[in-house]
Amino acid sequence: MEFSFTPEQVMFRETCLRFAREELFPRCEEADLKGEFDFTLWRKLGEMGLLGLPIPEEYGGQGADLVTCCLAGEAVGHAGVDGGHTLAWGAHTYLCAANILNHGTEAQKRRYLPKLASGEWIGAMALTEPGCGSDAAALTTTATRSGDRYVIKGAKTFITNAPLAQVLVVFATLDRSRKHQGITAFIVDRDTPGLATGRPMHKMGCRASATSEVFFDNCEIPLENCLGGEGNGWPIALEGVEWDRSTILAPFVGGAMFTLESSARYATERRAFNRPIAGFQSIQNRLADMSVFIEISRLAMYRVAAAKDRGIALNPLYAAVSKMYVGDRGFEMASAAVDIFGGYGYIHEYPVERNLRDAKLGQLGGGTSDIMRMIVARMLML
Amino acid sequence: MDFELDEKTKERVDHFKEFCRAEIRPRASPLDEVPAPERILYLKKNLSGLGRQGYFHCLLEESLLHKCLLGEHLAWACGATFLAAAASGVAFGYPLKRFGTAGQKERYAGRLASGEGTGCLACTEAQAGSDLGGLGTKAQKKGTGFLISGQKDLVTNAPLADWFLVLAWTDEACGLASGLTFFVIDRSAPGLAVGEPVETMGLKGAVTAPVALNEVFVTEEAVLGGRIGQGYGQLGETLEEMKLALSALALGLGTACLEAATRQAKTRLAFGKPIGLFEGVGAKLAVMFTLLDLGRMLTCYAAFCRENGEENAPSLASSAKLFTGEAAREIAHLALQIHGGHGYLKGHPVERLYRDAKFCEVAYGTSEMLRAAIARDILKKYQTG
Repeated sequence: MEFSFTPEQVMFRETCLRFAREELFPRCEEADLKGEFDFTLWRKLGEMGLLGLPIPEEYGGQGADLVTCCLAGEAVGHAGVDGGHTLAWGAHTYLCAANILNHGTEAQKRRYLPKLASGEWIGAMALTEPGCGSDAAALTTTATRSGDRYVIKGAKTFITNAPLAQVLVVFATLDRSRKHQGITAFIVDRDTPGLATGRPMHKMGCRASATSEVFFDNCEIPLENCLGGEGNGWPIALEGVEWDRSTILAPFVGGAMFTLESSARYATERRAFNRPIAGFQSIQNRLADMSVFIEISRLAMYRVAAAKDRGIALNPLYAAVSKMYVGDRGFEMASAAVDIFGGYGYIHEYPVERNLRDAKLGQLGGGTSDIMRMIVARMLML
Repeated sequence: MDFELDEKTKERVDHFKEFCRAEIRPRASPLDEVPAPERILYLKKNLSGLGRQGYFHCLLEESLLHKCLLGEHLAWACGATFLAAAASGVAFGYPLKRFGTAGQKERYAGRLASGEGTGCLACTEAQAGSDLGGLGTKAQKKGTGFLISGQKDLVTNAPLADWFLVLAWTDEACGLASGLTFFVIDRSAPGLAVGEPVETMGLKGAVTAPVALNEVFVTEEAVLGGRIGQGYGQLGETLEEMKLALSALALGLGTACLEAATRQAKTRLAFGKPIGLFEGVGAKLAVMFTLLDLGRMLTCYAAFCRENGEENAPSLASSAKLFTGEAAREIAHLALQIHGGHGYLKGHPVERLYRDAKFCEVAYGTSEMLRAAIARDILKKYQTG
């Protein structure tokens, strides 16, 4: 066992912290209030190399390992406190680009990855539908082979980045009667006739990311846009959880780190009954619980990342445990921070308010906590 | 970064687990049920068996990670035996090894490591637990030695211990930081009297009693490490070590609970299927697994950081003890819930585990004191102005 980061990783973390403090933090309050994605910021994330972090250099990325990716996500969440842009980054890099990297043909990688890695194109992944979320295999979007094309029909919803995306990785079924085995992944270009996206939704948190429905009205794509082969979509979707339950969680953990710091500072400054509120045990208890939460979350997240880096197949138990804990306990801890700030914590100017709304997504996105418990229970009952 | 155990460690741990399963586990129930005098006989058998297995040698000589990993398996087999072993090998053994003079080590360490001799830590008093300012035991200079008088309470292992590590004031005016001193005292010392064992709620096999010291004379050689006034710092280090031992205890008890609950969930049928296939029961198993898995990781990490002298090690030891201690209580509660009425019966392992687990939140740093300590470190770090 060895729990240290390399000196390069530590240095890179510092760079990311500084970048997020200077570039993200000053802009995110307004972006959150308006619910607007900031393209200037996006370009800066691209210039920093963050958008193509795990993509190999030959495809225009940085070729970073997963632990480094998590460190970057954590640092940007920590100093930027911006659940919106980090969510957009996660969906773009880890759900869209990484899927193309891991399952794409050489031609697909050459065509899509360099522009995704630089951020010139924005990517999205479309799995959830109006009628199915947790039960993703029940999806009803169909793809039908017709000559040298696939024709896609159906609708997707809650798709992060959809209103902005040039490239979408879409899951559809070639044959509903074959259930999981019919599910197939496709790469769909934005300008494909028949593809339309809805208006950006007004979300509770992570508001700077753009989320909408996607409609496929006899949307025709060439055969070569099938990703990973016909009928292989379900394992591709499942494999994505490695990213979902490590890298995409990282900004949430970073947000919790910010919350602890700002709560501790506030507790020493704010006075009540002639002393700093840090002197009250009920405040101290919350700070202690937040600290324990952060230590454990980081271990849980880096364990998933380190295993992948070492080529060890993902243990679904570990991934589920990590996701459930960061999601559920993270929300409680974000709420505890609002308690420490009292009335101030309830108004928009204080980032702990934004962080509480952002943290709620940790329990929902990428597999709800209920589903995580079901996964763990099922494996224990084997 | 690597979260995996190396093969050699895994082998060592598996081998020890097998011993615990075969030799220790069958005595867990009797140790809980029989009267105190018989309990001591069972316990002595367990402790000498552990000595032959090299467990005390591990506690004295091996890495903290090994101690935690082996300890968890011992606690899984029998929490009471674990506690008795830790009270000797860690609460007494760690300060001996870390601070003791060459002469003290020579005198005690060999028999301690082989399991022939047993030690204990006599610190707590009726008016002093979390706050040592309330200690009443005093050591007065007399010639070249000291006369020690006072009343120690809740001393685990006292009924069978050969040696007592006693904390006493050598100079109350100096305050906690330099007024306290540890003395190593033999059981045979005139004036030292062990009281009747107290009946505890759980971990009953780890026999506990008060210890009275009535003008017990010791020479200067009894001063731990030969240095007066170092007791407070020495105790702090010892407690940090004990926090990780308690984490191992909590994890072991929790694992035993999860195993029992999983077996019950698979074999107990209701409404035509195993109860574990009902979502509510399955979710309980998932929560139990999660708490154990995360707690184990945090404990290993805390051990790693302490071993490497990291700045945040004390806070992490407190965090590990806090998290695993509360988790053990929660896990035991869920395990009993899954067993329904059967788990509520005397003689059922889960009933015992439920009582045992409560110890983890109370001893060697209450959860309240741990939270206060963790918060103090955070506030120090982020204090402005």
